[in-house]
Amino acid sequence: MFGQRLWRFCCSLKLAIVLASTGTMVMIGGSLLIPAYPRLFGPMDQLPLLAWWRSLGSQAPSHTWWVPVAGLLLVLLGFNTLCCFIDWLLNLRSRWRKTGEYLVHLGFVLLLIGYLWGSISGLRTEGVRITIGQTIPVPGMSGHYLQLETLEPVLAKGRQIDIIADLRLLRGDTVLTRKVARTNHPLLQRSLVVIPLSFGQQVVGFRTLFPPLGTVHLTPGSRLEIPGGGELRVLAIYPNATRRPGGQVIQRGESAGRPAFLLQLHSSAAVPWQGWYLPSEEPAPPALAVAGVDLRPLEPLYRPFGLFTITLDPGWPLAAAGATSMLAGIVFALVSFYAKRRRGDRPEIY
Amino acid sequence: MPETKILPFIILVAYLAAASLYPLQLRWRRPGVQHVAFGLTATAFALQSLFLGYRWWLAGYLPVTNLFSTQFFFSWALAGVYLYFELRYRIGAAGLFVIFVNMLLLISVMGRDAALPPLIPALDTPLFTLHVAFSFVGYAFFAMAFSLGVLYLLQRRTGTSRLPPLAQLRRLNEEAIFLGFACFTLCMLFGSIWAQVAWGYWFSWNIKGVWSFLVWLFYSGMCHAKFVRRWQGTGYAILSIAGFGVVLFTYLGIGLLLSSNHPLE
Ligand code: HEM
Repeated sequence: MFGQRLWRFCCSLKLAIVLASTGTMVMIGGSLLIPAYPRLFGPMDQLPLLAWWRSLGSQAPSHTWWVPVAGLLLVLLGFNTLCCFIDWLLNLRSRWRKTGEYLVHLGFVLLLIGYLWGSISGLRTEGVRITIGQTIPVPGMSGHYLQLETLEPVLAKGRQIDIIADLRLLRGDTVLTRKVARTNHPLLQRSLVVIPLSFGQQVVGFRTLFPPLGTVHLTPGSRLEIPGGGELRVLAIYPNATRRPGGQVIQRGESAGRPAFLLQLHSSAAVPWQGWYLPSEEPAPPALAVAGVDLRPLEPLYRPFGLFTITLDPGWPLAAAGATSMLAGIVFALVSFYAKRRRGDRPEIY
Repeated sequence: MPETKILPFIILVAYLAAASLYPLQLRWRRPGVQHVAFGLTATAFALQSLFLGYRWWLAGYLPVTNLFSTQFFFSWALAGVYLYFELRYRIGAAGLFVIFVNMLLLISVMGRDAALPPLIPALDTPLFTLHVAFSFVGYAFFAMAFSLGVLYLLQRRTGTSRLPPLAQLRRLNEEAIFLGFACFTLCMLFGSIWAQVAWGYWFSWNIKGVWSFLVWLFYSGMCHAKFVRRWQGTGYAILSIAGFGVVLFTYLGIGLLLSSNHPLE
């Protein structure tokens, strides 16, 4: 019967050997291109496979064709393995002694599906910056937020060797989980992995000499009472900036240099004055000078931030199930190996 | 630590003495020689295990983080695999290749820095220890399969009574491949879980990751090939030799020829 012949073909071990060895050959050849084209293949680990293929892989098919070909062969091998597994299930009564071997087969199928799933609908974001106390939306998970409570670098001989980040994952206002994450101990929640990578310091403002009041800490949102009446509000600060000849103020970098303050002056005038003030570059704008505002930035104010890798891999729970099945299968197969060999329990395929 | 120079040397001398007795035993066929050779190997292995255990205790972690430690561990795994087959099947000189590689590793170890640096947080996880330990034990079984494969081909040509019969060599080879595959699967599983918690993805497309998967796929193929009539015996012996070539390239070739981002390099 055709149906039966087709099923036997799908379960055929010879087909498995052909698929696996062709896949191996393709990957042997292809993988040697990996170190030769680091700009092409390097980002393969920074993106899920499909996103990599769309953005980079498909741009140079003459170097990357082997990736989809090997993928297709492995998918066929996975299908072949699944058929073998189903065939075993159907004949479980006579073949239960092979449970270990077939848990390995099932594990392989689950791992493959898990990998495919994650490659197609996963998301990977590197270098996500969260400052202490900040709450950010989790990329790709609407309604979920990450909150960084504290951050503590671990240094050895002046070099950062680890970073300890107290993180909270929230859905809406509800805390789903809390984790003190560090190297090898990420925040893991089903398909989400949050890994602290490094830390840095962000200039958030300046300790500034403001002659009538003495030294003040200016950060966006600060408000200063001006002795002669009125209020000075700090709307924004660029830690290092310059003014173009046309008058436009541009940011030159994130580290402290010549700061620029975007200020708003509320005084008796009906309309508040608003504008940029670059105290290290130019005299105070006339409106500020009249109100007696003269700022002299003394030193930057820092707030530490963490840099995180955030990965969403919807295939991970399935892959983890596959790994568990394979692990159990290996243990079973090892334990039963000698017993089966004594019984002469061994298929012969011609 | 002076013992890091002296002990490997004593262990090496014991292995060397055993390795010289085994071929003599092939000539003289005296059970006494075989016993002495076995005794020397077992003593060397016991010393090696003690030394490994001592360094483990000193460091507080299984020392497999630098070249001295990994080569010493691999050498220990090779000797362990050899003893397993020797105890079970009295393979004698049939496993000499493994002892020979083991000695080469010990010689190379003696020139290296034996320091036990504090474990950096990136490697401070049992997943790393399991990953590395199972990989080396797996490689040791693959080395044994290589040795048995070469002997199978030799025996097929010579038909000598000094070597184990073909049927036994074939069975031992299949067993070494199966046990090696089982260990290597565990190595890959623990490595993948480690990658997931360390990087957020469990399969890396760097060349070492791809080749480790290929090694695994190759030996999984061999676990099946033994059921196929045409691949039994000679075909299997050739596959064992080729497989070890792939292992060597993955372990040494990639590190030497090409750069990779594997954490151990
Ligand atoms: C990469 C995927 C696969 C892996 C990792 C794998 C692994 C294994 C392992 C470890 C064994 C035990 C070998 C031994 O007893 O020494 C085995 C046996 C076997 N495998 Fe696979 N296998 C895979 C794919 C397949 C496929 C696709 C098929 C069928 C087409 C298949 C059919 C069999 C059969 C029939 C046995 C013999 C079981 C027995 O002893 O009765 N395997 N496999």
